[in-house]
Amino acid sequence: MLSFFAMIPIMIAIFLYILPSQRIARALAIVTQLGLTCAAFYVFFLSKQGDVITTIGGYAGVLGIILKADTLSSVFLLLTSFIFLVVSVYSFRDRGNKLFWFFLFIWQGLLNGIFLTGDLFNAFILIEVVTVVVAVLIMLNRDNRSMYDGMVYLMINVVAMQFYLFGIGYLYKLTGVLDMNAATQAAQQLDPASLVLPFALMMTAICLKCAFAPLFSWLPNAYGTPGAPSAVSAVLSGLHIKASLYLFIRVQGVFEAVTVPGFFLVIGIVTAVAGFVLAVSQSDVRLILAYSTVSQIGMIVVGLSVADLYANTGSLYHTINHALFKTALFLSAGMITRAYGTRDINRIRGVFRRYPLLGVATMMAVLGITGAPFTNGSISKYFIMSGVTFWMSTLLIFINLGTIIIFIKYSWMLFGHPEPGQKIVKIDGFKQAAALALGIVCLAGGIFGVQLVEFLFGVPMSVDVLGYLEKIALFAVSGVGGFLIYKHYISKSPLFKRIREMEFSFRWMCVSMGAFFAVTLLVVHFFQ
Amino acid sequence: MHSFLAEIAAIAVFFLGFYGLITSKNIIKSIVSIGLMEIAVVVFFLSLGFVDGIRPPIGLEMAGNVADPLPQALMLTAIIIGLTVTAINLTMLISLYRECKTTDWEIAKKLRNRIRSK
Repeated sequence: MLSFFAMIPIMIAIFLYILPSQRIARALAIVTQLGLTCAAFYVFFLSKQGDVITTIGGYAGVLGIILKADTLSSVFLLLTSFIFLVVSVYSFRDRGNKLFWFFLFIWQGLLNGIFLTGDLFNAFILIEVVTVVVAVLIMLNRDNRSMYDGMVYLMINVVAMQFYLFGIGYLYKLTGVLDMNAATQAAQQLDPASLVLPFALMMTAICLKCAFAPLFSWLPNAYGTPGAPSAVSAVLSGLHIKASLYLFIRVQGVFEAVTVPGFFLVIGIVTAVAGFVLAVSQSDVRLILAYSTVSQIGMIVVGLSVADLYANTGSLYHTINHALFKTALFLSAGMITRAYGTRDINRIRGVFRRYPLLGVATMMAVLGITGAPFTNGSISKYFIMSGVTFWMSTLLIFINLGTIIIFIKYSWMLFGHPEPGQKIVKIDGFKQAAALALGIVCLAGGIFGVQLVEFLFGVPMSVDVLGYLEKIALFAVSGVGGFLIYKHYISKSPLFKRIREMEFSFRWMCVSMGAFFAVTLLVVHFFQ
Repeated sequence: MHSFLAEIAAIAVFFLGFYGLITSKNIIKSIVSIGLMEIAVVVFFLSLGFVDGIRPPIGLEMAGNVADPLPQALMLTAIIIGLTVTAINLTMLISLYRECKTTDWEIAKKLRNRIRSK
């Protein structure tokens, strides 16, 4: 049954492409998305009773290829269906590029496949194909800039996947299986020292795909490229990177014996700080959002690498929350940049005055991502912080201060008066509804946060009222502090303008990848 | 041939390809280097569990010393994927060349950023 989640979107994609009437095709697309969301709910409820397993080809056990939906994968399945539903509604009235809808559905099928597969080699194939599909979507409008962006994206990811495949080869040599569960069991019997090489090879690839420091330089251009429709950027930044994070969790599970928790903790912090510095120095709306994704990913990794149930669950919840508010931010940013005809944040002012609904949608998502009280971001950040040591949580408060500064800069455009002489553009109702719906989900995810976490992950959690009040006070203090720092220091400092001009070329991305591989190998070899 | 030799050769060719990626500015050379890495991985997989006198897993007579068929099946898939990706890379290079009139990473990057600063 699970194979339908990968097959049906691809079938529908082909069907939509050959259907002559665009209108009917799109209505059909949305109905299909609704159906898929319902099916994902059904699988989610089934997986609560136990893993749902489909064997493809009829060979049971480690010999066959299995699709498996446990709690984690079915939550991601649900998220994929929901985000794609919203994005389909968003693009409903877009002037017609048939190819966009075609690739969008294929993309969904492949992502579902990645979330469901229980086989390391199948994961490789699905990721490789999804990389090609995304590269085509990035270059969809054949803009001069997106040619370069798409090319760098495709090539650096293909290089990374060669590392991954090499790692699979070593793992197969040692364990003789490709099934994730069987590989986990076999790896536990082995000497951890022999697993260092496959671990380093596979982790280098996955860290590049997850955009950890120093391997994130391909991400902002690809995710914030001007050539792609904003729906593509939204799914890329909201959902696509979560597939890599999902794989990170799975592969780390396979290599339980070798993991060095402190290593990814440090990487997470460096990623979060680097993402903040680069995001604050940008002036392009989409690039700010793309770099803030890097920063948030760093925070998620910190929560994942701590050996604490609260932090881990909070991190998973934050992954889902990030998908929701980042998609909302990208979708509303797409409308704003189209309405104002510019992507420069310094030239956009007064969104609230001109397009109040759009401003509200943006504001709700901004509150979510900064962890304002009673939004979903605050709940997940509270859980992450309650699971780490005192020093770590202090550090995380500073990282969150960075996020607040980024979004003070970002929400500057909501206030003030628009430049005179700009035309007022009518904004499509479907688009506004999509962005608003996501914003409302962000708020609901905060108010029913504890219940939602228990419902999704089956982990009973509780929020300590005093601790939460303390977090609210901290948020207020860091909000004011962030405002002052931004107003008096960052908006005037010439340093950030210089940082903006820094960008790795393809060669340097490869060098940093090689260096990352060498460092991982040495660290794991000596410190495990 | 010993499987150990094939493994060493695979690692050497893999990092030779990677060296090519680090050192060359030319996009075509980068694509060739990625191809080298792909071939190295294929050689590595085929060398898994190789011993002298082993027979290919083809045909009905499966008795005796037969090679593990799984890596070979995997590599058929990987070769196809590699071929496709190389083709797409070259196609993209052609469109990039039409836009920028260059096959140099650095110049292409400069051209891209010039547009951004406008």
